Amino acid sequence: MSKGRKIGLILSILLIAGGLAYLGLGQFGQNLVYFFTPSEVVSFKPDYFGKKIRVGGMVVQGSMQVVPNTLKISFRLTDGAATIPVDFEGIPPDLFKEGKGAVVEGFWDPEKRFHSNLIMAKHSEDYMPIEMKQAGITLPKKDLLKTLQQ
Amino acid sequence: MFIEIGHFAVILALVLSAVGIVSPILGLKTNRPDWVRIGRQAVTLNFFLVSIGMAAMIYSFLTNDYSVRYVAATSNSKLPIFYKVAGLWGGHEGSLMLWVWILTAYSTLVVWMHWRTQPVTMPYLVSVQSLIMFGFLAMIVFLSNPFERIYPVPLDGKDLNPLLQDPAMVVHPPMLYLGYVGFSIPFAFAMAALFSGRLGEEWIKVTQRWTLFAWMALTTGILMGGYWAYYELGWGGYWGWDPVENASFMPWLVGTAFLHSVMVQEKRKMFKVWNLFLIIVTFSLSLIGTFLVRSGVLSSVHTFATDPGRGLYILIFLAFMLILGFGTLIVRSGRLKSQIELDSIISKESVFLFNNLFFLVAAATVFLGTLYPLLVETLKTAKVSVGPPYYNAVFMPVALGLLLMMGIGPSIAWRKASTDNLRKNFLLPILVAVIATAAAWLIGIRTVFGMAGALTVSFVASTIFIDFAKISALWARRHEINYLLAFYQAFTNNQRRYAGIVTHIGVLVMVVGIIASTIYQTEKVVPMRIGDTMQLKEYTIKMVGLHEVSGANWTAQEGLFEVYKGDRLITELRPQKRLYPVSQTPTTESAIYAVHLGHIFLTMPDIGEDNSVTVRALINPLVLLVWIGGGIMALGVILNIFRPRMKTSV
Repeated sequence: MSKGRKIGLILSILLIAGGLAYLGLGQFGQNLVYFFTPSEVVSFKPDYFGKKIRVGGMVVQGSMQVVPNTLKISFRLTDGAATIPVDFEGIPPDLFKEGKGAVVEGFWDPEKRFHSNLIMAKHSEDYMPIEMKQAGITLPKKDLLKTLQQ
Repeated sequence: MFIEIGHFAVILALVLSAVGIVSPILGLKTNRPDWVRIGRQAVTLNFFLVSIGMAAMIYSFLTNDYSVRYVAATSNSKLPIFYKVAGLWGGHEGSLMLWVWILTAYSTLVVWMHWRTQPVTMPYLVSVQSLIMFGFLAMIVFLSNPFERIYPVPLDGKDLNPLLQDPAMVVHPPMLYLGYVGFSIPFAFAMAALFSGRLGEEWIKVTQRWTLFAWMALTTGILMGGYWAYYELGWGGYWGWDPVENASFMPWLVGTAFLHSVMVQEKRKMFKVWNLFLIIVTFSLSLIGTFLVRSGVLSSVHTFATDPGRGLYILIFLAFMLILGFGTLIVRSGRLKSQIELDSIISKESVFLFNNLFFLVAAATVFLGTLYPLLVETLKTAKVSVGPPYYNAVFMPVALGLLLMMGIGPSIAWRKASTDNLRKNFLLPILVAVIATAAAWLIGIRTVFGMAGALTVSFVASTIFIDFAKISALWARRHEINYLLAFYQAFTNNQRRYAGIVTHIGVLVMVVGIIASTIYQTEKVVPMRIGDTMQLKEYTIKMVGLHEVSGANWTAQEGLFEVYKGDRLITELRPQKRLYPVSQTPTTESAIYAVHLGHIFLTMPDIGEDNSVTVRALINPLVLLVWIGGGIMALGVILNIFRPRMKTSV
């Protein structure tokens, strides 16, 4: 293979790899969704309004209101220190309940309400979204031995 | 009592695996063949010991022995027997047991089959396999022990996570692990080649079938997981770029690159360092896959444990394997110069090169998206997740490029393709592709995704058709037989090549399924009561009932829906909203009706107090092609593994 051809080959490899990397990295920044707690959300500066984020907390007991014949649900989400109102439209997961942990995805508006159409709940009774555990949110968790001995 | 025997057997296996690491190497260096043989016996014995451990666990599950902590955590007396056995791999500790059991089985089989034919590399292979075994057994014995007892003994178990109570649980994890662990064999042979200095093509020829088998198991495992998520999680999709899906996809991507690039080394003695690099990366990604999923660093349905001690151990073990792999490769790389250089860009070698480039870019994309959130969390305190649009943006062009190469690669000549070779093989397919794309436009396919699909699928399909037609014609002429028989004879005469093409056909079928079910999916979510109807494309769905049903360990509200096409009743669908009382977990069970290779998919995600239900109805056209394609891919691999010896060359 001649030198010119070799350079051509290397150039085309670099071009393709570069193009694909550009595609990936170009999309990367736009598709990062940050996670916050309700306390962080209530003290948001206006430049966070309307951005897609995730918020994790516990669904406040007695706060859930279902609008009949629609897919709209509103509830409040708390981390113990702050509470935010959430307007949700869509299908909540099976394990979404009052008094349980949930992570909502959506945006915070200037009227101080959170709009969401995606809720992620725990996958099992003793499972808690990892983001919440790290954020220091602890939920009432049944002790394995106690429940088993009843 | 039995559980203690199992526990003891596993501890003994840990000790024996340490013997298996050291004794074959010492035996080789000091010229004592009996010491080398001890290593072999240790591997075989370990298979029996870990089997005893597995049997003890299964026995405890079947006899509801809740004094064993792991059984208490993942089983329940009301759990059907079927799931009690599968409950063994329903948690972190048991999954590790399954992993290491598969590893001992593979190792025993490899040692038994290749002992005589590969005397030089065998001692190193035994040592490397024992090292992996040791790593996992140490983790089982010291950090994630499934044999641990608890006191006081609970009256009943906590139950297997209801989402895992599905027939797929019996086959999906073992299949995936057969794939992950299967890559340890080419990895160990590669390491043995590096250590022993036998750096020719031998290790590739020996492991070719093992790699194919591992790849097939991994492919099947991933597709089963996709189908399971599709009907169980109820969102009607089979792939969501979830971190755990990604974890199994990364070794698949690099493993696929490896399967292709070894052919270049076999035929042309090129890419030597590259192939070693690829297999080390593939196996490392298999380890990362296992650990990511099981260690609890990711938030997902598959994650069980969150114990920082385990995380640290895993990181150290992984780092050790990576340093060992790449370190040896770097030390030996001086001896690995290819003697031959690439002749031309327009050649089979170069298509393989770009194939590898694309697969690796794809793997890097997934790697970045999956691990970036973990990195950010460690470095900053912020938590992020990466959305599917990122993956889709990269995978569209990558898949397109790979598909085109799938058409070009098999037919283009080695070294340097002549203009004649190109014209004979590709002029017609290009014409067909242009016509098919125009036809797609005319029948109303206007999305970029759909048109690109029509272009590539028709191009590749016609290259394959031409390939088959030519070879049949040649054999028919030469042996004066009919075309069908000629095709059969030509196929079996060079079965390695044509079995590979069968796998490519499977890929094409799958691509059609993916495109159709993605861009032509119809979805409707409506609140309904008994007597209500809804219209979904040409189907009318009528809700006619809602009643209570129950199974062995669950109760459910079951809806009854009639599906009409025009006035004709075509089927009844019964989606359920289940409750598993032991863990107080509700689940949504979908109801599916297959029609024209597609699905009518119904779930009832919510039931109100006044018997009004939320109904989610989907039409996923041609979605079955995803798994039919997967089946054809697996068939291709089976034909490849069990191919007859090559007789004559044409």
